[in-house]
Amino acid sequence: MNEGLKDIIEALIFISQEPLTIERMKAVLEGVAGAEIQAALDELRRGYEAAGHGIRVAHTGGGYIFATKPDHDRWVRRLLQIERKNKLSSAALESLAAVAYHQPVTQAEISAIRGVDSTYTLKTLLEKKLIKIVGRKKAPGNPLVYRTSERFLLYFGLNSLDELPSEEEISKILQEERSSEG
Amino acid sequence: MTDAASEFLETPEIVPPAETDGRDIYQVRLEAFEGPLDLLLFLIRKKKIDIHDIPIAAITRDYLDYLDRKERINLDREAEFLFIAALLIYIKSQMLLPRETDLAEQEDPRQVLVNRLLEFQKVRAACSLLREREEAQLLEWRRNFLPPLAGESEPDFAEVSLFDLAESFFLMMKRKAEADTRIIRGRDVSSEEKMKELLGLLRDGQVLDFLAYFETQASLEEAFVSFFCLLELVKARQAVAVQDELFQTIRVWIRKDGRRAGPHE
Repeated sequence: MNEGLKDIIEALIFISQEPLTIERMKAVLEGVAGAEIQAALDELRRGYEAAGHGIRVAHTGGGYIFATKPDHDRWVRRLLQIERKNKLSSAALESLAAVAYHQPVTQAEISAIRGVDSTYTLKTLLEKKLIKIVGRKKAPGNPLVYRTSERFLLYFGLNSLDELPSEEEISKILQEERSSEG
Repeated sequence: MTDAASEFLETPEIVPPAETDGRDIYQVRLEAFEGPLDLLLFLIRKKKIDIHDIPIAAITRDYLDYLDRKERINLDREAEFLFIAALLIYIKSQMLLPRETDLAEQEDPRQVLVNRLLEFQKVRAACSLLREREEAQLLEWRRNFLPPLAGESEPDFAEVSLFDLAESFFLMMKRKAEADTRIIRGRDVSSEEKMKELLGLLRDGQVLDFLAYFETQASLEEAFVSFFCLLELVKARQAVAVQDELFQTIRVWIRKDGRRAGPHE
């Protein structure tokens, strides 16, 4: 285990404004094997997860970035003078989930899934940059086609769309709902 | 009960939840439901019905009862709720029709609805999982912390429909008609001037109190013109009309690029 390597990676992540990918680290650390980087990275992350640190190395948006630990949320907000971070409205979240699981998808398809006209909600999601327009569908009216954005992954702490809650997780939730009613 | 389940059950407001045999077993506010499928799923779960074997007649009755009972009609949403009601009735009629041969499993007229409900249910479950993730993420800060979501720094207003605007307008008309029916004025009001005046007021960063503004109008005619100007502005997406809560006045302000200026700034 190369101790120096761990320190270098720590410095690189520290200075990065956005999640630092393994590929970027490889490019910087010429000649160091990916497995070696990964091992040092894991070691670094374990160190921060242990007690005695206010921050940790978060794995999100496809890379690694320093983040404060949840316990300190209150204090960080006091420093930044932010009352609270706003959550998505339930209509927005529902539309977003529909886009995430059905992308690429059109407004009409989202509205059909929800049973509710979603034009306005999609517009606000676009404004929030959680979804993006990727083109037009070759169908009558050439409707716009939507996908989730990079920011969507970061917002939910995901590294890729593969990390979206799976079919199994979803059916587990449904099972729980059903049994809690019985 | 799990968090996700309790979150779901909290969605509709149920008063009272007790199982009495009166007609008002439960009362639910339409606003609590995001849409008709939401309501339908709620009714199905409430009766502990198997989603694959829905007694269409009973569920349709519950559904229509519910639509009857709610107090306020929002014409925009009404159509969506009625559409599903029509679908329910259509399915029932299909099931009643005599057929020469028995239907195969796949041809159950309810299948379309069941598929939609199953898909919707999945999205809803995914929502509760994503919500958990969102809440966890919001507690972790990065040095270049994600700037707050655009437009999220203000409360989640319900943008009012044109029908709400019209409703407020008629309320104002009534008041005005009572106030000065005997005064006759000859002044002509041009819509261009009114539009300029309105835009001028809004551009100053002012938030207009919809009802109060019309109170200041000298005549019914002038009030008319300003109302149409306002509709025009909302339609052109130049202005935003917002209502904090039901039955409160509607406030109007200018729509800025992408971001709206909050009224409390």
